[in-house]
Amino acid sequence: MTATVDYSKWKNLPPPPGFSQSSSSSSKTSSKAVAAASASYASLKESRAWDFAISPAKSLPMQAFMLYMSGGGVQIFSMGIVFMLLLSPFKNLAAINTAFAPFAPTPAPGDKSSSTTSPNSLTALPLQKFVYLICNLLTLALGLWKCKSMGLLPMGTGDWLAFETRGPPAEVLLM
Amino acid sequence: MRVTATWFWLASLISPILAIHASEAGIIDWHKPLVGVPLISSHHTAPSFHRTENARDRSTKSVVLTTTASNVVAALHPENGTVAWRHTFDERDHVIAYKASGDRVASISGPGGAAFRVFNVHTGALVIEQQLHTLESGRLFEPPSLGVGLAFESSSPNSDVFVLTDGHTVRRISGGNGEVQWVWSSPDQSSLYVYSDIVTTPSAVYLVGLAKSFAAYTIHIAAVSPTTGELLASVDVPSTVTDGPSQLLVLRNKSKDRHVIWLEDGRIRSLKLSPELKEKATATKGALYKKLIDVKLSEDGQLVGIKQDGSGRVIKLAEDGTLKVTWEFENSATSKAYTESMYTGGKDMNGETYIARVFWSHVLRTASAHVLAPHLADGKGLITGFTFPFATHSHGIISHVALDAVNPAELQVLSRILVTTSTGGVQLWQQDQLQWTREEGLSDIRAAEMVELPESKAVTTQAANEENESFSARLSRQISDAKDFPQYAINFARRFATGSYASVSSSVAPQANASQSLSRDTFGLRKIIVAATSHGKVFGIDSSNGEIIWSRVFGLGWAHEVGGRIIPLKLFVTKTVGDAEGENPQVVVVAERKADNTLVDTVVFHIDALTGADVLGVSKDKDVLQGKDVIAGPSVGAYLFQNDAAKIVILFDEFLQTHIFPDTAFNYDVFTRVVKSLHFPLRSSAGTSRTLTGHKINPVKEFTGKHVAYPTWTSAFPSNEEIRAIVTRPSSSPVASFGKVLGNRTTLYKYLNPNALVVLTGTTTAAKVKSCSVYVIDASKGSILYHSVIPPLLSGECDVKAVFTENWLVYHYYDSETGPGDQTKSHRIVSVEFYEGNKGDDKTSSSDLSSYSNASTSVYHFEQGYIFPRGISAMATTSTKYGISVKDILVATDNGQIVSIPRRFIDPRRPKRKVTAEEQEEWLMTYDSLLPDDPRRALSHKYQILNARQILTSPSLLESTSLIFTYGPLDLFSTRSSPSGTFDVLSEDFNKVQLVLTVLGLLGAILVSRPMVGRKKVKERWYE
Repeated sequence: MTATVDYSKWKNLPPPPGFSQSSSSSSKTSSKAVAAASASYASLKESRAWDFAISPAKSLPMQAFMLYMSGGGVQIFSMGIVFMLLLSPFKNLAAINTAFAPFAPTPAPGDKSSSTTSPNSLTALPLQKFVYLICNLLTLALGLWKCKSMGLLPMGTGDWLAFETRGPPAEVLLM
Repeated sequence: MRVTATWFWLASLISPILAIHASEAGIIDWHKPLVGVPLISSHHTAPSFHRTENARDRSTKSVVLTTTASNVVAALHPENGTVAWRHTFDERDHVIAYKASGDRVASISGPGGAAFRVFNVHTGALVIEQQLHTLESGRLFEPPSLGVGLAFESSSPNSDVFVLTDGHTVRRISGGNGEVQWVWSSPDQSSLYVYSDIVTTPSAVYLVGLAKSFAAYTIHIAAVSPTTGELLASVDVPSTVTDGPSQLLVLRNKSKDRHVIWLEDGRIRSLKLSPELKEKATATKGALYKKLIDVKLSEDGQLVGIKQDGSGRVIKLAEDGTLKVTWEFENSATSKAYTESMYTGGKDMNGETYIARVFWSHVLRTASAHVLAPHLADGKGLITGFTFPFATHSHGIISHVALDAVNPAELQVLSRILVTTSTGGVQLWQQDQLQWTREEGLSDIRAAEMVELPESKAVTTQAANEENESFSARLSRQISDAKDFPQYAINFARRFATGSYASVSSSVAPQANASQSLSRDTFGLRKIIVAATSHGKVFGIDSSNGEIIWSRVFGLGWAHEVGGRIIPLKLFVTKTVGDAEGENPQVVVVAERKADNTLVDTVVFHIDALTGADVLGVSKDKDVLQGKDVIAGPSVGAYLFQNDAAKIVILFDEFLQTHIFPDTAFNYDVFTRVVKSLHFPLRSSAGTSRTLTGHKINPVKEFTGKHVAYPTWTSAFPSNEEIRAIVTRPSSSPVASFGKVLGNRTTLYKYLNPNALVVLTGTTTAAKVKSCSVYVIDASKGSILYHSVIPPLLSGECDVKAVFTENWLVYHYYDSETGPGDQTKSHRIVSVEFYEGNKGDDKTSSSDLSSYSNASTSVYHFEQGYIFPRGISAMATTSTKYGISVKDILVATDNGQIVSIPRRFIDPRRPKRKVTAEEQEEWLMTYDSLLPDDPRRALSHKYQILNARQILTSPSLLESTSLIFTYGPLDLFSTRSSPSGTFDVLSEDFNKVQLVLTVLGLLGAILVSRPMVGRKKVKERWYE
């Protein structure tokens, strides 16, 4: 039972392909090419982030068409679509940070101290997130408009009539 | 047209009530055909027995004929008191006399006798109808039956009839076709003399009347030829008649001679009638008389004379023309032991005569009848006496009797006595047995209310003192309480399984042999209708079947000595079931007592609505009901004030002093707290026209200890208009919604000013241009909110019926003007709705806004007129517990139906074009001017409800269902209506069994599949 493994003989094995021993050594080798690749990667991420930010707006015409097709009556299909329209903005906004995390720019290796550039933070990609918010609000607005056209929003005085109260009469007529 | 038809079809499809089901008729509704209170003042109109003989088998059949205060000629079956037939006369065509002969009964009606009709006496078929003169040209007499008379030429079936009308005109009318053969009018029509009686003989028709002379009347007789109608002779008989035509009789003796009999200076005088009128009058000797009584035996030559001491004598016209006293009733002289006697005559099937004397004995407290059969006991006369237990505490006093008798064996007389009571009851007594009673007083209900019944009391043995009860005692009590549990459980299971719940379309009337106390049914469809009649009686009627549960006679109080009448003015429910736990509901009747010495008092009767007991505790249960004199004088207004604390009746006397009832310290406290906000309108006469004056009550007491009201405003109606009627909203009409939501979700806020009321006016008789008006006024300050002018009837009168509920006014009138275009004369219904502000969404909160605010008159209205196919006599709306159900308009039409008009048909906002999608959301239909006469909307089914003048509606416990009770000068009818359908109960055809079976099946499926699914899950775990 003295079988021991001698690890020392693997110490000088080369790293697997793609794994550099140290960044400094690789940057040394082709720092310029790497910099260009990461820059294009960042811009790609940014453009993907923009794409994602305006994606709710892109689907608006399709949703509008669906609403048109589902009709103005209060039925299971129209109600399903309306609920989807009303709920998805809130769902999207609740998950806004995780949704944008993949597109967050890779933090520069130097400033690890800065916490603002964490991919899950709200301040990452603020402009895209703002546009995303607006686009989701547009979806919500579409859903609300549909609700209104279906007569589901308490907009008129008639919707509040049942809650109105009147006091006792000021004068009593004996009849 | 196509569109309209489609819409109508659609509407009828959606319309909640299609019709009353045939299976529900007689179960949810009832109808009491009445004939009215008999007119007993004249022998022309009073009830009588009439017997006809069937020529084939010589069997006889009798009916009771009468004319009544409800303007009806009716025949009753004497066996059971049911109505054989009745004929109602038009309102302006009052029946004033009838006379039966053989199979026919002739009637005269209208002023002076304008119309002549002949009916079949058994079927009521109208045989002859002849207008003798126009209603306007008739002469009005007091009493109206003066100056008219009927005489049949013979008793043969189609004999001609001689008709005396207007006091001076005689016509011979053919009995076959009703043609007038000849007319004779007295040449002197200066109304100096009036003929009051007509008799026929083959040689002459005699008219007997009175001519006015200085101090008294003299008798005037005319003889007219029966064939040509020429005057044969006329004579003024030197005579002095002081008591008018009632003391003037014409008797016929066995030799068919006619004699005029009258009373002059206490002597009976007699004059034989001959065509030449040359005979001289003779006078009787002996006793002095003070009165002659016609016992309807003048054809047999008999009458009753009352001597000076009050005793009655039967006097017969002998064959030689002399008057003979054939009988004197024993002990009939005026006495304090019994009332003044009533005499009446009758005949049996052989034509023999009988005379009855009926009186009330104060000593024995029973009614007695002495029936004289003059032909029995070898012509000496046989008297049969008996007493009958007339219930004077529940029927008042006997005011008229009619006699029918049979002579089944020698020396035995059986008599039937038809009694008309002062409370409007009609009773038939066969000897001392009461055969039947008809409460005809119900045909003249002055005030009525429906009172909710309490729940049936659960039978629990209530512990006397629960705190100090020992454990064992409590246990035994609760075990004894639980003894009914198995029964309850079985009932519950059965009810659950079979679905045998209370049904809304079933009868809620109590079982015939049920002895349980009065309690409401599951849905509150059974109530008590408390109705006070003008004949001084108040009834508690079961609304489920029309049975009279209790009745009380109003006592006269101090006026008992002098006599008088009690006329109910108003009836208020002062305590309902919800007000006090365990106490019976109570009603208060405010009545006016008109004593015969012209004194008028206001009396209040406080009654337990379930038993009729006197709440005041003054009168005993088996006695007349004594009231409380609240005002020594007439009252100008009586109102019910109610708030959460109390229900108080507030009365005002002529000096506008306030009286409250019940006059307790608590009620006075409640009154003083609200007195500042109280106000009321009163009708007042300013100059010649009657106007409306608003009043408030001074919160400070006067030195008399009473609050006095003072006027605050006077109505601004034109001076030539006077108030015909005031229509207020129903007292208990909760408002479910303060507005009406339109298709575009804006709201029209209902104008619910609690002070608004409707005033119907008409121009005074002096006005040249006649018109009628409908006003809606704010009764706290007199401002006019709505005014419309309506054309009057052709006669210049106004016949407008209106109903006002929430913000909705509906009125009905007859448009007798032909306007431009193709407008025609028609009955119109106008529907008006009032809303706050002047457009949608305007809100002034009118229901709690002070009337003194500027915004209180900010109101606009929608109105639309519709053509209704019929005239109506009464109008009301349905009323439900919370006011959520749609309100339908109920009308009593002139063809004797109660018709419900759905609100959707008379919605004032029906557009006069194709309806838009938004209007469709409101269920509006395109305007169609004609309301179709749809027989399916008749709630009265096949019954003919004659003369309904009032419709009383009351909510049930079901929000969907409204109870309806109609009354008028004749029939009573009650039914239910569900204007929005019975949405709050399961429909009758709901399959409860199927539901239970489905639930049980599902339960079984779960029980079976549950272990299977469990096993499968375990197996899945193994083979995962």
